[in-house]
Amino acid sequence: MTDSKDTGEAGEVKKDHGVLYIGMDFGTSRTSVSASNGVRETVYSTVGYPKDIVSMKLLKKDVLFGKDAIERRLSLKLYRPLEKGVIKMGDDADAESKANLKAARDLIGEAIRIAKPRADELVYCVIGAPAKASIHNREAIIEAAREHVDSVMLCSEPFAVAYGLDWLEDVLVVDIGAGTTDLCRMHGTMPEETDQLMFDTAGDAVDAELAKQIQDTCPGAQFTVQMIKDIKERYGFVGEAAERVVVDLPVDGKPTPFDLTDQLKTACTVLIEPILEGLRRLIATFDPEFQAKLKGRVLLAGGGSMVKGLDTAVEKAMNERLGGGKVIRIEEPVYGGSNGALKIAHDMPEDFWEQLK
Amino acid sequence: MAGFKETLKDAVRQMSFRTSLDKLKKKGVQNVNVLGVDRIIALIEAAVHRSLKSRMVGIDRDAVAESTKAEFLRLLRSNEDLQREKSQIEQARERAEEEIDLMRRELGEKRSLLRVKLEQDAMELVTRYSGENQAIAMKVAEICRSFAESGDASVSSVEERLMELVMDVVSGEREEAEVARKALQDREVGNLQRRIKKLNDTLVTTEQRLQQASTMKQFDRGISSIYREVQGLDGSDSHAGKKRELMVDLFKANLKLQKRGKGA
Repeated sequence: MTDSKDTGEAGEVKKDHGVLYIGMDFGTSRTSVSASNGVRETVYSTVGYPKDIVSMKLLKKDVLFGKDAIERRLSLKLYRPLEKGVIKMGDDADAESKANLKAARDLIGEAIRIAKPRADELVYCVIGAPAKASIHNREAIIEAAREHVDSVMLCSEPFAVAYGLDWLEDVLVVDIGAGTTDLCRMHGTMPEETDQLMFDTAGDAVDAELAKQIQDTCPGAQFTVQMIKDIKERYGFVGEAAERVVVDLPVDGKPTPFDLTDQLKTACTVLIEPILEGLRRLIATFDPEFQAKLKGRVLLAGGGSMVKGLDTAVEKAMNERLGGGKVIRIEEPVYGGSNGALKIAHDMPEDFWEQLK
Repeated sequence: MAGFKETLKDAVRQMSFRTSLDKLKKKGVQNVNVLGVDRIIALIEAAVHRSLKSRMVGIDRDAVAESTKAEFLRLLRSNEDLQREKSQIEQARERAEEEIDLMRRELGEKRSLLRVKLEQDAMELVTRYSGENQAIAMKVAEICRSFAESGDASVSSVEERLMELVMDVVSGEREEAEVARKALQDREVGNLQRRIKKLNDTLVTTEQRLQQASTMKQFDRGISSIYREVQGLDGSDSHAGKKRELMVDLFKANLKLQKRGKGA
């Protein structure tokens, strides 16, 4: 209203400055965005609301996200709105479901905000969601995003990873997230239901196993889920350990060193067997003539692929049990999905975006 | 629908301006034609429907009209949010400026209090010095008187008595100088100095906050995209054909999802 250059008569912002594409990887543990203005950001998928008026005055915010929320969790009601890759919402709209849905909406809004869109640009967004997310969940994600962008599309997360690397044919993508591991067989067309597999042995399962191992073998050691995640992300490995992993954990308030090498190896190894089983199923049901080609192009992506030695371990297991295979880890596991989604957004024709407005 | 009309009314009211009959008379206006807000709203709606009818033959006009209304409401809300945000930032800036003014006043008061105190100390010192001079003069007079009365005015005895007097005065002065040095750490002065320091620190912090608020007022306009227009698939891409098919499939799946969402 006040600036005639930027706004129309009814306060409408004229979107005549340009077009901003945003690719988003909406994940259980992290939400990453890549945008056509050069912004690449990631935020922990954690949302916190002040518990009471006192904490609200102290924090001076209505809602906190990511690391901020985790660090101030004692003053917050904390939500991790996604579980096993999808928004935690039951069919009956109880209070907890509604709260998770609100947290998911706020998180998507925050992810778009950190991409720093201009008010006078068209914003077109592609969001990578788990391959087998329910229709109900997909609708919720779309609705949440529509509040912040001009047009939005969803795509399967592993598909986005493959598209981003231009690997569209005879590729098997293994996207290891926190909540789920998604496998997707790419053969030049849009992957169908039968081309995709999803199971919940992923990052969170590794955390649970590591917590159990530490509890069983480190008497008196105190830890939280966040501490376990930090240890896994820093030291996680499979195969042969390059060096012993010694970590300080508090015992009766005193930091005490524990050798967690074996525990970490055992915890991270839980990823291998389900991945191998998934690969076997997708390879075995593929055209026999192209099975060898498919085995030769297995792509590891997602935060879970950062476990050291995982590519070598999966490749070794494939050689032993599937008669060969070649596993490649993508260069940027955290941004692989969002980069791919950004590329899809870029390549999508204008009239498709217009029709989805 | 009723909500939309009310919002439209509000928007018309916001865009109109108020004046009085007297002011109009002063401008030479004798008669005015009155058009009610409800009538204006009805005219806008009729105009929109007529325009849609003439330009969008064969298209679901009601759906387009509803969608346009929804978009209008969304934009209006978004504008209200921006206005609210702007006003909050301005309030924060005003509060910070008030705080700075208050602190500057307090700082000025404390400084003048300190000046008064220092002036009082100086006056006391002058008074004290004149009293001391008088006491020394009396002592000298007493010695002279005692020499006159005793008749013993030899050089050695005069020298001895004068030496005693001088040493007495000097040692007294030395003690007082020591006390004066301690007096420099006068409690009130110390307190005032501490308060001034504290106020100065707060002033610096508040000025920083004011600067931050001023920066915020510029609003983060975001970062421009490298694209001015929608790009689409590059025809020279080696996988262009395959990618086009993938884009069509992806679009169809999303369109289906969107239609389902709207139908629900």
